[in-house]
Amino acid sequence: MLQALCRYRHIWNIELRFRPAFLGGIMQQTGNKPPAMLPKRGEYLLKDMKRMAKYYQVPLRMSPDAFQHIMGTSSLTAMRFITAIDMTNPQYLEPLSRQFWMRFWSQHEDISQPENILAIARQAGLSAELSQKALEMASSPPVKDRLKDTTTEALKHGAFGMPAVVAHYDGKPHLFFGSDRLELLGSIIGESASFHHFGFMLSPSWNKIRNAAE
Amino acid sequence: MLQALCRYRHIWNIELRFRPAFLGGIMQQTGNKPPAMLPKRGEYLLKDMKRMAKYYQVPLRMSPDAFQHIMGTSSLTAMRFITAIDMTNPQYLEPLSRQFWMRFWSQHEDISQPENILAIARQAGLSAELSQKALEMASSPPVKDRLKDTTTEALKHGAFGMPAVVAHYDGKPHLFFGSDRLELLGSIIGEKWLGPVPSPKL
Repeated sequence: MLQALCRYRHIWNIELRFRPAFLGGIMQQTGNKPPAMLPKRGEYLLKDMKRMAKYYQVPLRMSPDAFQHIMGTSSLTAMRFITAIDMTNPQYLEPLSRQFWMRFWSQHEDISQPENILAIARQAGLSAELSQKALEMASSPPVKDRLKDTTTEALKHGAFGMPAVVAHYDGKPHLFFGSDRLELLGSIIGESASFHHFGFMLSPSWNKIRNAAE
Repeated sequence: MLQALCRYRHIWNIELRFRPAFLGGIMQQTGNKPPAMLPKRGEYLLKDMKRMAKYYQVPLRMSPDAFQHIMGTSSLTAMRFITAIDMTNPQYLEPLSRQFWMRFWSQHEDISQPENILAIARQAGLSAELSQKALEMASSPPVKDRLKDTTTEALKHGAFGMPAVVAHYDGKPHLFFGSDRLELLGSIIGEKWLGPVPSPKL
């Protein structure tokens, strides 16, 4: 959804904003559980994600081990780091998010340990100095609060999982959940004359929540 | 999914077969639960189903009461009736399925009581005599077994809910779950997606 929306940002009349939020918090607040916890659904998801990735031409790799990895990883530190960058150097928000995604969904590598977070940040073009500062900031109250607020906002828009896109048109926010609502979204905003403002919730892992735009 | 697939059956190089199965059995065997049981997901579904119905131009109506109705209704007798017709007069399978759908998803009326099942069957063009016979057959072992077998087959293909489409290509069966996989399916089998309403009417 991330990649597909980015492809459309200069084709459709939309403004796209990434909003880092914490999926773990969303799951907890809504009582939701990862879909793969139902065994037959998990088996299906494995196949479905592979063919959707092929269709959307994104380098997502998936396997039973990957599911385990995803469900066992906390994205909290990563999301706080991304939030810190969003607050101080927002120009890196997208490349950083993309690197986290690649690391987690394509390379199946850890995104939770500080040294790995720093490596991802370097990969995204951040200086060592900036990365280190953001890592320190990540555990500060302002960053924690910001992530909490963004997560609360996602919940307010009705999010119960990710990916979640909140599209603003006709003067109201509209939640689109899942990786398969882009065509519907395009069809709906094609009928609307208003400028369309999207917030996209960002999540390198199942456990992240993305934020909706304002 | 039903309606959209029907629209494509004469456009894509596909053979479409309806296979009546029992969703209650599938849910029970897989441990799945209706999605609306998660409150926030239920709220979302209400809105999402409405806009998908509009996009696909199907007369689905949805409301919080409808959710209650859906979750409180057993479809077992209805599915056995449909199975009986499939076994004896398969030319009625599709119109009958369509009438059940309209009754349940659009008109929000009961589909479980015998008198209502007979009314639906009449609406689908079945004679009173045939409808009555099928109703009696519905509780017979052959019909019960047939429904069980079809349900088991769905489970074997990996189904954990509905709608479920099993597409056979490349010599293998492939499960597509949900109302939003038709475009992907078309892409995989090398057919062109022409949107949710590819021809002016069906």
